[in-house]
Amino acid sequence: MKYDPPFHRTSGLVPVLIVAVLLGALPFVFTDTYIRHILILVFVYAVLASNWDLSLGYGGIFNFAHMAFFAIGLYSYGIAAKVLGIDPWLSVLLAPLLAMAFAALLAIPILRLEGIYVILVTIAAAQLLLKIVVSQSDYTGGTSGMVLLPRLTVGDYRLTSDGRIGYYYIALLLLGVSTLFLYKLERSALGRAIKALRDNKYYAISRGVSEGRIRLMTLCASALFPGLAGGFYGSYVRVASPDVFGLGFLTITLSILLVGGVSTIWGSLIAAFAVTVLAEVLGGFGAWREVIIAALIIAVVVVYPGGLYAALQEFRNLADRLKTSGIAAYRRRSESNRRENELGASERMIATPHGTVSVADTAKGEQTILFIHGNSACKEVFANQFAAFRDQYRLVAFDLPGHGVSPNAQSETDYSLETYAQIAADIVEQLGLGAPIVFGWSLGGYVALEYAAQGHPLSALAICGTSPIGIFPDDMPRGYIASPHMELAGKRYLSPHENRVYAQKTVDSDRPEVRPIHQTVRRTDGRARQQVFSRLKTVNWPRQIAFLRNETAPFAMINGPEDPFINHDYCRAFGYGNIWTGEPKNIVGGGHAPFFIQPENFNKAFGEFLEWSGNS
Amino acid sequence: MALDTLIFVLVSGIVLGGLYALMATGLSVVWTTLNVFNFAHGSFVALGAYIAWQVAQQGTGAWSFVFGAGASVLIMFGLGFVMHYCLIKPFERNQNLVLLSVITTLAASSIIENGIQLAWGPRDKQIAAPLTGNVELFGTAIAALDLLTLAIAIAALLALAMFLRRTSTGRAMRAAAQNREAAELMGFRAARLFALTLGISAATAALAGVFIGSLRFINPAFGADPLMKSLIVVILGGVARFTSPIYAAFVVGIVESFSVYFLGLYWAPAVLFAMMIIVLLVKPEGLFGFRSRTL
Repeated sequence: MKYDPPFHRTSGLVPVLIVAVLLGALPFVFTDTYIRHILILVFVYAVLASNWDLSLGYGGIFNFAHMAFFAIGLYSYGIAAKVLGIDPWLSVLLAPLLAMAFAALLAIPILRLEGIYVILVTIAAAQLLLKIVVSQSDYTGGTSGMVLLPRLTVGDYRLTSDGRIGYYYIALLLLGVSTLFLYKLERSALGRAIKALRDNKYYAISRGVSEGRIRLMTLCASALFPGLAGGFYGSYVRVASPDVFGLGFLTITLSILLVGGVSTIWGSLIAAFAVTVLAEVLGGFGAWREVIIAALIIAVVVVYPGGLYAALQEFRNLADRLKTSGIAAYRRRSESNRRENELGASERMIATPHGTVSVADTAKGEQTILFIHGNSACKEVFANQFAAFRDQYRLVAFDLPGHGVSPNAQSETDYSLETYAQIAADIVEQLGLGAPIVFGWSLGGYVALEYAAQGHPLSALAICGTSPIGIFPDDMPRGYIASPHMELAGKRYLSPHENRVYAQKTVDSDRPEVRPIHQTVRRTDGRARQQVFSRLKTVNWPRQIAFLRNETAPFAMINGPEDPFINHDYCRAFGYGNIWTGEPKNIVGGGHAPFFIQPENFNKAFGEFLEWSGNS
Repeated sequence: MALDTLIFVLVSGIVLGGLYALMATGLSVVWTTLNVFNFAHGSFVALGAYIAWQVAQQGTGAWSFVFGAGASVLIMFGLGFVMHYCLIKPFERNQNLVLLSVITTLAASSIIENGIQLAWGPRDKQIAAPLTGNVELFGTAIAALDLLTLAIAIAALLALAMFLRRTSTGRAMRAAAQNREAAELMGFRAARLFALTLGISAATAALAGVFIGSLRFINPAFGADPLMKSLIVVILGGVARFTSPIYAAFVVGIVESFSVYFLGLYWAPAVLFAMMIIVLLVKPEGLFGFRSRTL
């Protein structure tokens, strides 16, 4: 199941709204026709490049006749409006139909071809089209093209009047609708089929995706808006020249696409602006302009093969790291009293080989219980347990790297189950905790299992909200109930909505007193989520299972029956060695975090487990 | 149609074919070795012609032509060698290699084309021909320069074939083309071999450019036409063997020559493109090819 929220719930909403409002207001700032003309060109290039991304990026079809769609739109507008005398508005709408018809024809010769061959054939097809256009000079004006095409009017109002403001808004509308179309298409069944064919052709075909039909539809869909843009462009510049078939035009559009970043609709939009504006700024340099632009394109592509979009992601990455580590540093300094009151334990920083972590320790008692929190949480989730067991046990909890008030990890490789387990072992050693009882929640449950599997000392092990995994990744869909929200656990950047949903699902509550938990999701380093999940495949899962099934260490699995993630049947039937009550214990009324939401029931059960394990 | 006209058209087609073979082989060698289509190939042809023109300007007579051609081939070899490191090597491990190299080679082509314009200006130029006069062949007068062009083109292709098959460097290049990892395990430096391939490709392009420059006029943008012709040749012939594009080059040259004669200058390219698309529909791997990508 794919997590696919509506656009207004993703983190893209705010930037897109800002840009849309800016572009809408821009003509009032720049009343100059020249600047508006440049912006109209930017919009047209953005439409061309972003639609090209559909076939080139998402579809993996190297269609180099893409500019021919635009050219067909342009010429069909010219012929329809000028030679045949059809109403200009109707002619503009006719243009995409012809472009799509050509796209359908083009799909035939490239059906059996791959890779570079497709490039060559589509270039040849575009050249063939050019030769036909040039040879029919009675209709197309031959090599000199067509001039004085009819312009668009609304009643008696010319769209060129008032500094081309009419054309500006039509172009902006065209870009907006085209982007919406691409965004929706990419997320539709057709979009998934297109990407599936690109990523694994034979698997996609074997799952019933028709290669021929999907390629045809990809090409036709990618011709729609370029054709429309061609018709619009014809009505705007009122010239149709064979230059639009040339390599120069193709190079500019392709460089916009690649400098922006392939398989990202937004990259093309950014690059269209950057490249067009740069080309205009360098307008006075003659042939040097082309040399400079080409050199810059090479430089961008060599430094950022993923394009400006990748560069933007790097910037976002940096901003996210600064934000999360900033929040952590602030809370570490100014809110330590509140946290110490909450847990009733003193807080200290402990340096380990995998980074410094913040540890809360009640520091009195013979036997220790070590608590390990889950993904995107913090040690304060165990406040109720600290209150209940502080008299009998020494209680220790710590913030994983990138979580709570621990600093972000220096290196991304420090975000993994193995290093988390080693950090836990290091804390046990440095604080002299002997053989602690280890309790892990959710992701922390895996850390606890890994801690045990690595052979570190412990007297009992309890996990909560964790399905044991024997074979990765096959057991993941068995151990967990497929839910779109599972994806959030490994997602790097969460939008405000996603933060809220994730926090709600993990602690099963939206009550005001759990708000701090929501805050900790915001603080968590996005890399921690992403890296831990991407490294799951390197974990030695059989070793964990061997511990569970063979070792005699007392073990408990304490779950909430309303847990939205765990598959209880799987957990029950998994088979364990020395398990308390002979099967997973369910806490009445508990969800994914029963210790948090049903503390009394949980603490009672946990106390019984401690007694059973012989540690009371 | 008189026999001598037929022979004349045929011979001019064959000469054209020789030039196309030289250009298309350079292109196909790069394609099969680096898995990259070099869009700067046409501007290599143009730059090669300009360098030869510049050097040949320093003297007069046939020797200046020879020096010009030699200098052009050497300089272009070096340029091609360096360009591999700038344009292709940075993303040899990138999954988008094909696309990224398309844009870098297109950009390089733009740089070379505009660089030529900056250095030599937009005016037409012609390299002084080393030979004049005609040779009588089957009762038809054929320009001696045409025959020289054909002879040198064939000699260059033979030399290249010998190099690829008989010398250890040539064999190493073919090994790297067939299986890069295995070649590297054998101790070959694949990056250098690839750069060598691009250098050789640029050198053959320059040689073709020198002759085009002495047969016709050259201007900064004239590389676009050789690029398109090489592209047609490569598709038509396929790249299965070293010889596939060479045969196809002669087919293209002769077809072009006849369609220019019978249909006129405008329709000749359309005939070629149409022929190419028909071949692709019927036999996508090319007229002289089978589906594989090795030298």
